[in-house]
Formats: sequence, C-alpha cells, structure tokens
Amino acid sequence: MWRPSNVDRPTGIFIGLIVISLVLITIDLRAEGAGLGSTLRDGTQSVFTPVQRAFTAATRPVADFFESLSDLFSLREENRQLRDRLAEAERQVQESESIRIRVHELELLLDIDPPEDVDTITARVLAIGVSEFDHLRVIDKGSNDGVGLDMPVVDEGGLIGRVVAVTDTVARVILITDPTFVVAVRVERTGETGVLRGRGSGPMSLEMFNTDAAVVVRDLLVTADGRFPAGIAVARVREAARSEVGFALRTTADPASAITRIDFVKVLVFTRDDAVVAGFEGGDRLPISVPTDPSAPAEGETEDAPTTTTTTTTTIPGSSTTATSGGIEP
Amino acid sequence: MKARRAVLLAAVVVVAVALQTTLFVRLRPFDAAPALVVLVVMAYARYLPAEYALLTGFGAGLLQDLLSETPLGLWALVMTTVAFSVLRFRDRFEDDFGLIGPFVLVVSIGGLALFSVLGTIFGEKTLADAGILKKLALPAVYNVILAPLILPLIPLTLGISRRRDTAFTI
Repeated sequence: MWRPSNVDRPTGIFIGLIVISLVLITIDLRAEGAGLGSTLRDGTQSVFTPVQRAFTAATRPVADFFESLSDLFSLREENRQLRDRLAEAERQVQESESIRIRVHELELLLDIDPPEDVDTITARVLAIGVSEFDHLRVIDKGSNDGVGLDMPVVDEGGLIGRVVAVTDTVARVILITDPTFVVAVRVERTGETGVLRGRGSGPMSLEMFNTDAAVVVRDLLVTADGRFPAGIAVARVREAARSEVGFALRTTADPASAITRIDFVKVLVFTRDDAVVAGFEGGDRLPISVPTDPSAPAEGETEDAPTTTTTTTTTIPGSSTTATSGGIEP
Repeated sequence: MKARRAVLLAAVVVVAVALQTTLFVRLRPFDAAPALVVLVVMAYARYLPAEYALLTGFGAGLLQDLLSETPLGLWALVMTTVAFSVLRFRDRFEDDFGLIGPFVLVVSIGGLALFSVLGTIFGEKTLADAGILKKLALPAVYNVILAPLILPLIPLTLGISRRRDTAFTI
C-alpha cells in the first residue's frame, strides 16, 4: 500500500513542481492568452530584449561567417539565376507600367477610387523561438514604432506571418507554417478560394472548396480573408490537387517566402476587418465572407494607421500595384 | 556564497536561453538547432543537490515558457522531468562514463517528445508537424555532439568539478 513516507524528498519535490506546472498550464489556458500569463510574457520579453540584442550583435558575425561558407559553393549558379530573374523582372516592370497606365485611365473613366497603398514598417529578426516547435520570430520593432497586434508581416517573397504579441520595443510574429495558422486564400490563376494551413516544417496543407477547378503545380496562392490585405502572395502549389469523395480538393503548397532564412521583414500597418474575422478566431473555421477582388482594399484599411518616422509606403508582395517609395534596407 | 552561486546559476541559464534564441536564427544546419537549455539543465542536474537541480530545471523551463507562445508551465514541466531523469541515473555515470552520450540522446529525445505530446494535448498541435521526427532527432544529435563541451564546462561556472562537491552547502 502506498504511503507518503515511501516517497523520498527529491521525488516529493518533483511531484510538487509537476503539480505547480499543471496548475500554471490550466490557469494560462483558461485565460486564453490574456490575464497574468500575458502580462508576465510581455514583462519577461521586455526585460530579455536587451540581452537578446546584445547576443544578436555578438553572434551575428558568427552566423554570417558560417552562412557565407555554405553559400560559397552556390554563388556562381545563384548569380546566373539572379541575372535571368533580373531580365525577366525588367520585362515585367515594363509590362506593368503599361498596364498601370491603362488601369488609371479606366479608373478615371469609371470614376473609381484607386486602392490605397499600405504603410509598412521595416524590421529585422532579433530572435527565434526557444525550441524547434516554436514557429515564431521576435522582430526589433514594437508599439513605439507603430507595430500593433494582428498586423501582417511580409518579406520580399510574400506573407510570412502575423504579429501575436507586442511590447514597446519588440514584437512576436507567428509564422504561417505554425500548425495553428489558418488563412483563406485564392488561387491567383483561377480565382477559386480555399484554406491554407500550416504544418510546421513540412509543406502547408491546402484545401479547395470547388472540386471541379483544377489546381496545378506552381499556382500562386494569395490572401483572401479580412485579416490581411487581399492579394498578398502566401504560397505556391507543390503538387496537383486530387479530389477526395467530392467534398474538397486537398493538396500541399510551399510558402512563397524563404521562411527558414528570414532576416529583414516588413510589418504592414493594416487594420483588420473585425466583422469578417469574427467567425475566424479559434482556428479551423472559415471567415463568413471571403473577398474575391484582389485589388479591393479591405474595409477600414490604413484608416487608423499610426505613422512614425520608420514607416514607408510600398507594394504588397504579390499584388500588382507599384511601389511609391522605400524598400527593405540592406 | 550561496546567493552568489544561485545568481551565477541563473545567469548561465539566461545565457543559454539567449544563445538558443539568437545564435541559431540563421545558424541552422539541416534546418535544426541544438536544444541547448535541455543540455544545460542536464549538466547542472548531474552535479547539484536534488532540490537545486529540480528547481533549476523548473526555472529554466519557466523562462522558456515566458519567451514562447506555449501554455505557461509546459516547458517547466518538461525541464523538471529532464532534471529528475538525470537525478535518477547520475550515479550510473560515475561507474560508466560511456553511458553519457546515449543518455544525452535518449533524454533529449524524451524531453522533446514529452513536450510535443503534452503540447498536442493542450492544443498546440505539435504532433501535427510534418517534420516531427526530424525535430525530435536532430536537436538530440546536436546535443550529443555538444555534450563533451557543455557537460564538463557548465558545472565549472559554480566551481564544482565532481558531483560530491555540493556547491550550495560549501
């Protein structure tokens, strides 16, 4: 028969600490991301930020050195690919310019207000999560710079995540590859909508609603829900979709951004559409309505956008509007 | 003396967490990084008295919890368990030094597996990660590689070179 006297002191302490841990987990889960846990997290992050800044400054040259070594062998091939891409980009710029002029003429003709550009805040990745299971980045801009909760974060490739916590000087960004991340997307080629889910380090999972519309390899998926400006590149289809008992098309997609090598990012100063998002919080459900026009700005876009000296106005990655100024600083 | 060593111990844990979150931002061979804090907790648990070893694990885990988006207490539970596992087996290392490598591997994988299972139970979907096996195995392998450096070095910060040197009772 079990008696407390059979438990030695270390085991007793161990059991006590496990019970405390379980109590903490329960309290934190019941608070649903708010309350004491949130306050403690923000406080710890604030205290820890100077330490992380110091270590980042000290360790960046080391990381740069090893990264340079690993890149050395692929430089020649990369240079050739970049030259090809530059030529292609220059051709696309010329095409875009003529299209932009035509769009402007049509807007004037139809008396349509053109979509506004979204202000952005350039930031740099300061730290990663504490383990391989944390799909988050800490960026070196916070509420003092105008960063707010739920703002989308992009890099030159497209959407990389959204802000989930902000202190005065830093912000935490959950990556699109996090298994809890769900975003409504539209296939740019066909206009069909679906849901994209993060799966950690593997390719993302895509579920399309229309089983008849085919999805082909390299199809670009862009944002199509109220939390993000419409038309941001999110991922590219990895393999052609197959129908599953007529309910949905399921396939996989690779993030449009190089998620594992993020360094500089831009926070889009975007006020989300709460009415649309209301049915989305909690994970797996779809938004009540999905905007389908990629060029239309979401309701309330940039209305309450804080402006700071660090903001620039730029093109949303994946959208067809042209940059007015600024860019990611080297 | 006791307080000074406690502060030193806390400082080493903070440095380990800081390195974990900054050094491996881009320095990620095969897209993975060592579980450095797990290794540091193991290093201390080999030498410290049981109470301090368990509290070190709990504290290091709590700090990790506060710097992540996982439920508060999850890492604390895992790190306390890691420290307890080392406490239970550390006498064996005195007899057979060759067991340390496999033990680091097993405890690292076990700790990360425990985190992923508990994380899934508490709604983090960690087991849904498509690369779950890689995320369990690679950090553990890196820990084994770093173990010859970290395991002897970390206790020296408290001025202990053998387990029987009980740092907190000097």
